[in-house]
Amino acid sequence: MTADTPKGLVLNIQHFCTNDGPGIRTTVFLKFCSLRCKWCSNPESIGRKPELAYNPGKCIGKKACGRCLAPPAPEGAMYVVEGADDKVRINWDLASECGEETTALCPTGALYLFGKPMTVDEVLEEAEQDSAFYRESGGGITLSGGECLLQPDFSAALLAEARNRGITTAIETAGNVPWEFMAKVLPHVDTMLHDHKLTDPARHKKWTGVDNTRIKANFKRAYETFTDTRFIARTPLIPGVNDDEDHIRSVLAFIRPHDNVVDYELLPYHRYGESKYGFLGKVYELADFTSPTPESLARLQAIIDGAFGRDGVEKRKPTNEQARPE
Amino acid sequence: MATSTKRIAINCGGGYVPGLNTVVAGATLAARELGWEIVGIHDGYDGLLARENYPDGGLVKFDARAIDNLDGGGSALGTAARNDPFRVRTINADGFVEERDRSDELTESIRAEKIDAVISVVGGSAITGAHALSVAFKLSRKGLRTVCIPKSVENDFAPTRLSFGFNSALSYVTETLDRIRTVARDVRRLAVVEVPGHQAGWLALQSGMAARADVVLIPEIPYDLHRIAARLRDHETAGRGPALIVASEGATAKDDAGGAAPETPISALRKSLSPLADPRFGEGAQVIERSGAVAASLALNLQRLTDIETLPFSLGQLVRSGAPTAVDRQLGLAYGAGAIRALHDGKSEVMVTFQPPDLKFVPLSEAINKVRTVPADSEFVRIARALGICLGD
Repeated sequence: MTADTPKGLVLNIQHFCTNDGPGIRTTVFLKFCSLRCKWCSNPESIGRKPELAYNPGKCIGKKACGRCLAPPAPEGAMYVVEGADDKVRINWDLASECGEETTALCPTGALYLFGKPMTVDEVLEEAEQDSAFYRESGGGITLSGGECLLQPDFSAALLAEARNRGITTAIETAGNVPWEFMAKVLPHVDTMLHDHKLTDPARHKKWTGVDNTRIKANFKRAYETFTDTRFIARTPLIPGVNDDEDHIRSVLAFIRPHDNVVDYELLPYHRYGESKYGFLGKVYELADFTSPTPESLARLQAIIDGAFGRDGVEKRKPTNEQARPE
Repeated sequence: MATSTKRIAINCGGGYVPGLNTVVAGATLAARELGWEIVGIHDGYDGLLARENYPDGGLVKFDARAIDNLDGGGSALGTAARNDPFRVRTINADGFVEERDRSDELTESIRAEKIDAVISVVGGSAITGAHALSVAFKLSRKGLRTVCIPKSVENDFAPTRLSFGFNSALSYVTETLDRIRTVARDVRRLAVVEVPGHQAGWLALQSGMAARADVVLIPEIPYDLHRIAARLRDHETAGRGPALIVASEGATAKDDAGGAAPETPISALRKSLSPLADPRFGEGAQVIERSGAVAASLALNLQRLTDIETLPFSLGQLVRSGAPTAVDRQLGLAYGAGAIRALHDGKSEVMVTFQPPDLKFVPLSEAINKVRTVPADSEFVRIARALGICLGD
């Protein structure tokens, strides 16, 4: 790769993932998202810049350190409370502009940043540690987020280079991007996992922040333009929001005319993101959702199985098995 | 020093606490005596930033007649638990949802309305922290004349001895503890009641004492679960009725309270990318959990240790609602009038505080991040111990 290869803002690289495309995969989470889903379990992925995070377990306290309580840390960003516990606490409203100059003050790593600029080579060097598993399982690399299509130059470069090295590629996207972004990345993608969160545009806006007009147009155009790409539709299933038969049938009506949409998966909501809101200091916006019941999930899954011609008696094979290359 | 201030705005940051309308009434009545005008901004600063959402244009004029119609409870101005002029959610030209800093627009709008100063009622909670005070502090640094009034059902603002809202919450919690004790005795279970107090345990301690609870757990005193279990077994052995436990939502076990996590071998890259790469970090201590988590966890663990059936309750948001007590009505009126006095005296960037018997004015730079915790040697703690209340240590 050349020196002017774009850098991406990477949130995390997760190994041995089995739900992000075919086989065993390495999932690269990119930062920055253009939606604000009220059930989001990755709040640290939303912002477009690196963001301060704090691990109180690593703070050694004011008496032993206290370096972050003075400039160049912003005024009032960190403080301690009188009492036996002299660990630093964060005023997240006043710490919003903290960057490396602040985290560099912390000798123990209690203060750090979510989001790290990385080159294509740096990401692939990490991902290729799993190359033996890719070969055996039909896996590869998956770009997720945030919204990986919001960094189109980096995503395209990374996926193109991955393919050059013999690694299969996948992306996870919610599709709320200009078509040009999607068109730039998709030529380098083997499998695109994409979200159909809600059918009704007004309800989509209510729960995610924008309506789904552009999203649906992007998906339809992608199905028709990139005929060799394998598409897998998904719905994060949130009880009381989109766990109704009408939505599932509407998505099926949208995808079934396209042969390259090979499956439709339901992702039952689980309350994972809660504690991370505390670490990031975000105002806790997660509504009080519950997980779907097994009965509800089975009922909706049966509709999908019927539409795909599966008998619904035998347990459906996991998608990664179905999509595994012959 | 008298000033020429004539038109004052008032708004409520943070969430509801009992007595908000009395602050508005206090400020309006005191302003009227000076010939000043008071206008209210709806929902924090949303009244000025999203005027199209309000039939009255986002500003409401308060005069004596309007005050006559204000209830003791409720908030005529709404609240602003999640509103932040520095992070206003919007859809940008690219169709992306983003948070935009509209504070300059806000200060310009305040100038255009010929508003000379803003009185902000500020407070916090486990979820939002002292968010509204931080917003007021940042706006004051942009040149906005600001006077803040402290509200808190947790009474955790250090600059003041008594935030308004606390006394009403204390009365409500105490009455509710009495009811829960009756229910718990009826079904012969150990009641574990969680009350607000993420960093300070005043509400749990004072209500627990008033309701003669058997165990009170507060953030300032990490608890030993086995010690509590032993106390509960003694309680049962003595033939007494089921015990009552009151816990602040910020109460922590001794094991969770301190000590750096031991280093584990993780590659530098993974460590630098995400704390989730650290297996000890995922569900760490001191995380703001949803309301009720402490009661549920304590009840479960104590039942496991004692074989006494438990009954967990979380009073949560209920504590922040309802009508104000007489104490909070007086305090709210006094704080409102005190804010007008501060402006009349030419003060700005201050918080009105109650330091008995006086109202005093503390610079915001000294008020910010100051948490009023329960000192280990406080008289309240000594009295609780003298009454035989187990504090978990």
